[in-house]
Amino acid sequence: MHTIKFLIKALCLGASLAATQAYAEVSKPLKVCAAENEMPYSNKAGEGFENKLAELVGSALGRKIVYVTWSDPRYYIRDSLDKGLCDLAIGVDKGDPRLLTTQAYYRSGYVFISRETDNLDLKNWDSDALRKAKRIAFVPETPAEVMLRAIGRYNDMFNYSHELVGFKSRRNEYIKYEPSKLVSEVSSGHAEVAALWGPSAARYVKASTTPLVMTVIPDDNVRADGQKVGSHYSSSMGVRKNDPTLLARLNKVIADNQSEITELLEKEGIPLVSEPDASDKS
Amino acid sequence: MRISKFTRTAVASAICSGALLTVSMPSQANKDLDRLSKEDNNWAMQTKDYSASHFSKMTQINTHNVQHLQPVWSFSTGVLNGHEGGPLVVDGIMYVHTPYPNNIFAIDLDEPDKILWEHKPKQSPAARAVACCDVVNRGLAYAPAGEGYPATIFQNQLDGHIVALNAKTGELLWKMENSDIAMGSTLTIAPFVAKDMVIVGSSGAELGVRGYATAYNIKDGKQAWRVYATGPDADIKLAKDFNSHNPHYGQFGLGLKTWEGDAWKIGGGTNWGWYAFDPDLDMLYYGSGNPAPWNETMRPGDNKWTMTIWGRDVNTGEAKFGYQKTPHDEWDYAGVNYMGLSEQLVDGKMTKLLTHPDRNGLVYTLNRENGDLVNAFKIDDTVNWVKKVDLKTGLPIRDPEFSTHMDHEAKGICPSAMGYHNQGIESYDPDKKLFFMGTNHICMDWEPFMLPYRAGQFFVGATLNMYPGPKGTLGQVKAMNSVTGKFEWEIKEKFAVWGGTTATAGDLVFYGTLDGHIKALDSRNGKELWKFKLPSGVIGHPITFGHKGKQYVAIYYGVGGWPGVGLVFDLQDPTAGLGAVGAFKELAHYTQQGGGVMVFALGY
Repeated sequence: MHTIKFLIKALCLGASLAATQAYAEVSKPLKVCAAENEMPYSNKAGEGFENKLAELVGSALGRKIVYVTWSDPRYYIRDSLDKGLCDLAIGVDKGDPRLLTTQAYYRSGYVFISRETDNLDLKNWDSDALRKAKRIAFVPETPAEVMLRAIGRYNDMFNYSHELVGFKSRRNEYIKYEPSKLVSEVSSGHAEVAALWGPSAARYVKASTTPLVMTVIPDDNVRADGQKVGSHYSSSMGVRKNDPTLLARLNKVIADNQSEITELLEKEGIPLVSEPDASDKS
Repeated sequence: MRISKFTRTAVASAICSGALLTVSMPSQANKDLDRLSKEDNNWAMQTKDYSASHFSKMTQINTHNVQHLQPVWSFSTGVLNGHEGGPLVVDGIMYVHTPYPNNIFAIDLDEPDKILWEHKPKQSPAARAVACCDVVNRGLAYAPAGEGYPATIFQNQLDGHIVALNAKTGELLWKMENSDIAMGSTLTIAPFVAKDMVIVGSSGAELGVRGYATAYNIKDGKQAWRVYATGPDADIKLAKDFNSHNPHYGQFGLGLKTWEGDAWKIGGGTNWGWYAFDPDLDMLYYGSGNPAPWNETMRPGDNKWTMTIWGRDVNTGEAKFGYQKTPHDEWDYAGVNYMGLSEQLVDGKMTKLLTHPDRNGLVYTLNRENGDLVNAFKIDDTVNWVKKVDLKTGLPIRDPEFSTHMDHEAKGICPSAMGYHNQGIESYDPDKKLFFMGTNHICMDWEPFMLPYRAGQFFVGATLNMYPGPKGTLGQVKAMNSVTGKFEWEIKEKFAVWGGTTATAGDLVFYGTLDGHIKALDSRNGKELWKFKLPSGVIGHPITFGHKGKQYVAIYYGVGGWPGVGLVFDLQDPTAGLGAVGAFKELAHYTQQGGGVMVFALGY
């Protein structure tokens, strides 16, 4: 009789201990690795759409969001996330090999941006307008650069791509390309086209007083050697490789709140494309 | 090209006022400038003379009395950035120039208390913002009066213009746009007068500016010729017998063939260093700079004709020979350094030579009539990217351990991207047959990175970490024979000897140091005989001149330039300035910014 009582007490104690532990963990703030100044994703004032997503996640998990900010995107995973200084990156590529990534919570693509009044026919990278354009604004080392090379316009745009960052040397330092500036190059008329990652440009296209057209570039581009150049990407949240617990929680948050997430992204103006079939390699 | 409205007015008034002193013979001005430069009372061009000897026959100051050198007067330019080059002295007038905003002051040596005239140009402030390595200027050029023009002072402005000023009054004669600031292309090079032309180079290789050199007519600024470093032969302007003496250097079609597709259009090869001129051969010599982009994987091929020593006909710009020193550059060894002309015995025969200490750590000596390679030896035995130069083929035999490919880290590459020699003009003593050269002894680690971000975006680059070479200091001064490659003496300097040397028949060699000394060494053995601490570090060269029977030495002070970029712009990140900030972080403990000229004479 005493044994059973003891066992019951032990079980209850054990259960409440576990519950206390679980309670202690979820009441801890959630440390989000976020950019100090990388708009439209994130900034110190919390004005980016990934800041808003972080708040959504915090609210769903019942945890306060604390930002651990980075200024150099090249090293934040190595220097902050992997070292445990922060635990969550809101927007990374699904399947980023440096992390455990959640299911994708949206998919988008690179876009062409041009002035409505110019009425440019910009179906894809073969478009005549791209062969004729004097200036195409793009971010180096993105698929847009690969395609500019493929259509033989990279050398023509080389000097202009340096002009976009005031001719500062990018060889060994992180020099940022501001999406807002690249969009304004088009709205001001200095450039005919911009080829940018849609989510990075969306809010600036929306806010432009000069009406702009933004069209998603179809995801069927190849280089000169026939290799595919992906221009649609799925975005997930990412955590350390040794943190499957947080990963599982985040997957649940996404599953439970997908429509709210989608609404947030649509409000931003991000062009959403559907996930490829499960059979697709991309 | 915009032609200044001042042109006709100025020339007309010059003629009317009888300012033209010369007989109307073609290129008389050339002979006059040559003559002026050989009078040691003058320092009539940045290079001292057309051979770039930086050598004065004056002996009033010598090894026995140099310890009595004292400052006799000084002039602050009012500008704090790096002061490269040196003043000019012609017929008793000193011409002083500054870094941006590129002011010019003329001082009459009879009345050095006053400014005779000044020129303060208004430039687009965009020029400041895009200059890569401090807003330096390598100096003025002077042309004596010629057919249709008065004595003229030329200056290249940071914003890409060349201006011609009346040397007596400072009045603007004409102004031409040589480089487009909207492309990020600035001008730091000094103009160079030869015959009735003034020659200007170009900057901005890393931005895709396709390098070119241009000759303008002195009298009206009209373009006489322009030659490019890459592209079709017609643009590069190759003579019909180009490299006929050394066909293995390469001859025709290579400005296209050694590039992939139309990559030559952004190929670089700008030249912002120094020219030399042989008035008997009518040949102009200079070096073209580095290819673009910096990432060598993006430009397979030899990348001709970047990194090339040129021998061109000064009248037409046509290249008689071109020797590429560093095919397919991987280190930023921009080939624009000075060319020193000499005549020395080679295999028993008196030969006209040019000698060129390249960024890549090799000292090249060529027959300057036909481009034959006489010697190519290491300026320091620690040079390691190359084992040696095969004198038969002219090709460097590279050591792959010290290459800078994107797929491997390399440690201890010597020289660093700053080169074992940079923009300073050196000196040649024709009696001793010795070149005196200041060097940089700086090596680097190369750490490429290719880091993924998101949505298919990568960050591709390389961190350069620079530090003193194996011998422990950042600089040296050496005396060498450029034919045999033998070193007569060498001394160590704490910091890189960036600014160049001047030698005299008084057995002296003068130079300035980054931490702010002007020094005199015994040119026979390198022994330090005199030094003086200037208000700020030196990146220019000393000059020597005479006035009313007395010999003077003068030098700019004002630290800056690439080695001083951390100090000038208050940069803390060691990787800034492409690694120069890390290499020279000690400099701030020895000197701060300044700007001016200090003039010395014997104190008795």
